[in-house]
Amino acid sequence: MTLAGTPGLVEMKVDHGETTLVVDPARLVEACTYLRDDEGFDFLSDISSVDYLGWSDEPVAGYWGGPSSGASAGRDLNTPGTWGLARKPAPKPKRFAVNLHLLSVRSGAREAPRVRVQVWVDDGETVPSVVSVWPTADWQEREVWDMMGIRFAGHPDLTRILMDDDWEGFPLRKDYPIGGEPVRFSGEE
Amino acid sequence: MAVEGKRLADHGLRSERVLWVGKGPGVFEQEVDNLEQRVGLTTLAKAVAWAQTKSMWPDTFGLACCAIEMMSIVSSRYDIARFGMEAFRASPRQADLLIVSGRVVHKMAAPLRQIYDQMLEPKWVIAMGACASSGGMFNNYTTLQGVDKIVPVDIHVPGCPPRPEGLMEGILRLHEKVLAGVPPAYEIRGVAE
Amino acid sequence: MAVAPEKRRGSIYEGSRIPQPIPSVLQVPEALRKADDILEVNFGPNHPSTHGVLRLIVELDGERVVGLRAVVGYLHTGFEKSMESKTWWKAIPYAPRMDYLAFQANELAFVLAIEKLLGIEVPPKATWMRMLLTELNRVHSHLVWLGTSALELGAISPFWYTFRERDRVLDLFEMVTGVRMHTRYFQVGGLAEDIPRGFFDECRKFCEIMPGAVDQYEQLLTQNEIWLKRTKGVGLLSAEDAIAMGQSGPVLRGSGVDWDLRRAQPYLAYDQVDFDVPVYYNGDVWDRYKVHMDEMRESTRIVAQALEGMPGGPWIADDRKVVLPPREELHTSMETLIHHFKLVTEGFRVPEGEVYVTIESPRGEFGCYLCSDGGPRPWRVRFRTPSFIALQATATLMTDALVADMIAAVGSLDTVMGECDR
Repeated sequence: MTLAGTPGLVEMKVDHGETTLVVDPARLVEACTYLRDDEGFDFLSDISSVDYLGWSDEPVAGYWGGPSSGASAGRDLNTPGTWGLARKPAPKPKRFAVNLHLLSVRSGAREAPRVRVQVWVDDGETVPSVVSVWPTADWQEREVWDMMGIRFAGHPDLTRILMDDDWEGFPLRKDYPIGGEPVRFSGEE
Repeated sequence: MAVEGKRLADHGLRSERVLWVGKGPGVFEQEVDNLEQRVGLTTLAKAVAWAQTKSMWPDTFGLACCAIEMMSIVSSRYDIARFGMEAFRASPRQADLLIVSGRVVHKMAAPLRQIYDQMLEPKWVIAMGACASSGGMFNNYTTLQGVDKIVPVDIHVPGCPPRPEGLMEGILRLHEKVLAGVPPAYEIRGVAE
Repeated sequence: MAVAPEKRRGSIYEGSRIPQPIPSVLQVPEALRKADDILEVNFGPNHPSTHGVLRLIVELDGERVVGLRAVVGYLHTGFEKSMESKTWWKAIPYAPRMDYLAFQANELAFVLAIEKLLGIEVPPKATWMRMLLTELNRVHSHLVWLGTSALELGAISPFWYTFRERDRVLDLFEMVTGVRMHTRYFQVGGLAEDIPRGFFDECRKFCEIMPGAVDQYEQLLTQNEIWLKRTKGVGLLSAEDAIAMGQSGPVLRGSGVDWDLRRAQPYLAYDQVDFDVPVYYNGDVWDRYKVHMDEMRESTRIVAQALEGMPGGPWIADDRKVVLPPREELHTSMETLIHHFKLVTEGFRVPEGEVYVTIESPRGEFGCYLCSDGGPRPWRVRFRTPSFIALQATATLMTDALVADMIAAVGSLDTVMGECDR
């Protein structure tokens, strides 16, 4: 697997056993075509988007420290600099991340290599659509548009899919309120 | 309040499910009480009410998880055919009872109201489960906080999802309401705020 | 071997039938629209034969389907947004309500993702019990699928037979967890409670009667001429198109691709039990039906093996920062009291990071993408649900098909709208 040869690769990181390839958005289609044809990732599992608005604003008291986050070494109360100390998580490059989770089905059983392709965009920037590479990206990208408001250039039919057609706003953004009603309890008068 | 001192059985209701004897009358009992005149039904009205209860056909309005439990009351263990209700009609024109089973979201609210309007009177609505009664655990931008915001509801059945026995309890209480002469919800209340 | 060899393909088509330019929409050719009388019909959200609230806008030329577009979103409940505002524990009950037929599979994916981020070791008893319950849930899901799909095609009897067994499975769930559906039994670190006495005997009895019950369903359907006529050669999907359209689970295995996550990336204890993965090569509704039936048998085998191989020991991990301490200790230890208080009021914290965990749910590859900022609440939860992906392929399945075939084909995709819309 020569994932390091992916066109447009900005960074490659491995965490929790998962490989993430951060790719330049302008070269996303080229990178995906390379991954599909040369590396054998013929199955697009998922396109998720994350909104990191407010990520580094408030310090969070949590588990920090330790070489691999999540190992119990990082959660020992007695180890200095770990649990209890409120820190801000490392800031993210841009507001939105679009993750494409790829899987290689043709590799056969007992291997199942997976990779995550990550692109970073700000509000208003567009991401090239990968529908031409994996047709299954059709509805996934529509959902990302509907929920997060990230446009995909080259998508044949970018319309709302889960919300009403005339809905305003993008629900999964962090500045969109959860909505709902305040709950009235019968004891209150 | 004339309902104190009078047991439900005096109103003609057969169930003795009111477990909390000291508690004041609930909505169910108050409705029965407010229409004391109608409790004295004519024989013909009683016969019509009896016929309505014995063959109240539900509409297939299964939305989410509650729909699966609604399907299981049709199955042989919880057999709703003994109450004459196994004929779930797909067409609302042929249905009497709308069991809203599952969470209703904004996009689905218009079809729900349309189905309700297409049903012929008399028609009853059971809000099955927590999501249909009050929005359930989903207090957010898209879920209707209770289906009684758009359709008048006769019976709310709690649970997430309610057991098939729970839904049948709701259906049987509806039958008892009808037998006691309580009119369907659209006559006595509108939609909630 | 991942793709069927050419010689075994029966009714599968050559080339790709994914419609262009929009892969999920079958568009009426202009020439046909001018020449013939096209009728646009709405298979609305409230329809007895679309599994749940699916809307299909179908354009018909007589009985032939020439245009198809699926509209979803009638059950979009905002799961992902709701889970962002709840603590990790309180977010767990949201997960099973998405795919309400395979509820424990959803919980499993979410809990496995949290555990991966936490780096916590789950004791083997919990792992085996989770596997057992997930396989029982697979049986449950396939039973409901079979009952309702057969009902849609006019075979009304299997509904009662499958729901008879389904009630037995739900009895087992009730015995272990207290609820029939949406059992919130998988806890971060293991199971919420110990396995009650008497469960193993009941489960063993179930494993004994289940193969006979599957034989009964097969007796009703497999050689039934009407069933064969309505399902063979209908709803064709080739292996290449299935992979390109992101299909997984029985749809993929019915199209000849030998791919099962339980074997390809074994999670829980699937590498310690023996089971076969059914693969059929014709890619029609019949093959998907056969895959479901065989999977029910294989799941019962796994459950029987899990019963025999279930290790003893604790049912939840020992990490007091994440798991509630045993109640007896609350009376004696101050730290236990503080931990209990903090866990119940504030919840535990999950280190910063992102993971993507996939499992083989009865519908296919169910994935949970979790992003944590180190705090007590998820930053982003995203569920990759197989039904959402499967419904994109309706247009591909319906090329050159009749209206009646549409019901069979959409039913065979085994979609659950709760998981599709989330």
